[in-house]
Amino acid sequence: MAATIRISVPGTLRYRPIAVRAVAEAARLVSASSPRDPKNPTIDPLAHDVRHPFDTAVVSAFMEIFNNIAIHAYQRKGGGTIEIEITPSKDAIVIEVKDDGRPFDIDDVAPLPTELDEETLPEGGMGIHIAKTMLDEMTYAPGPPNLWRLCKRLPATQISVGRS
Amino acid sequence: MPVPFDVQHINDETRLTIRGSLDINSAPALAEEIDKIVATRPTTVTVDLSSLDLIDSSGVAALVKLYKGVRSAGGAIAIAGARDQPLAIFKLLRMDKVFNL
Repeated sequence: MAATIRISVPGTLRYRPIAVRAVAEAARLVSASSPRDPKNPTIDPLAHDVRHPFDTAVVSAFMEIFNNIAIHAYQRKGGGTIEIEITPSKDAIVIEVKDDGRPFDIDDVAPLPTELDEETLPEGGMGIHIAKTMLDEMTYAPGPPNLWRLCKRLPATQISVGRS
Repeated sequence: MPVPFDVQHINDETRLTIRGSLDINSAPALAEEIDKIVATRPTTVTVDLSSLDLIDSSGVAALVKLYKGVRSAGGAIAIAGARDQPLAIFKLLRMDKVFNL
């Protein structure tokens, strides 16, 4: 299971559900989590059953990176593509996301407040923090093309021997 | 895609139920509804997240806006039912304590 899945979507939020769904299914290949009971569908056909912690981490991080590209790199105007390469293996998933939009200064992202209360609850700037915290590795190389590399490893106790 | 939320007004309570995916595509519509809710200066708002499958930072921002808007107007707000991915996100952001999830 080291085949790479390649998807290219226009760089707008309209295509986000397609990309998220592909990533969710690829994460499930690694975690071997089961899909939602078909007798209990959600109202959103693209809402994924993301219950396994591995799937949760991968999907949560990817959603934020896609948002970032569509909003900041392509400034909600589209006009470019988002190239996604997903490589699931038996113990990890690597996702490379490439765009030709404006480079992003990852060092400009402010940290979350250390003390969180009603007054300091943030209303923005959480996306990169979510992605970075959810993943084992996250790198960004400004371009163009800009390249995000996301890696999440399955805990050793959850790796199934002999899973195809 | 159907709007993933509905609002009910029962006596003095405003009940907001959010379903499916609350993300950058659906959060703007919710934010508009939140403006309407906050403008009524509700005394009690209950947010039911038990049918929410996925949330991203845009969805979290919408809920924070609601929370702050209700509280700053002197109202009470209870957010309940978060599970799976949404609960993991609130915990990661340490908002589970503020929201009493």
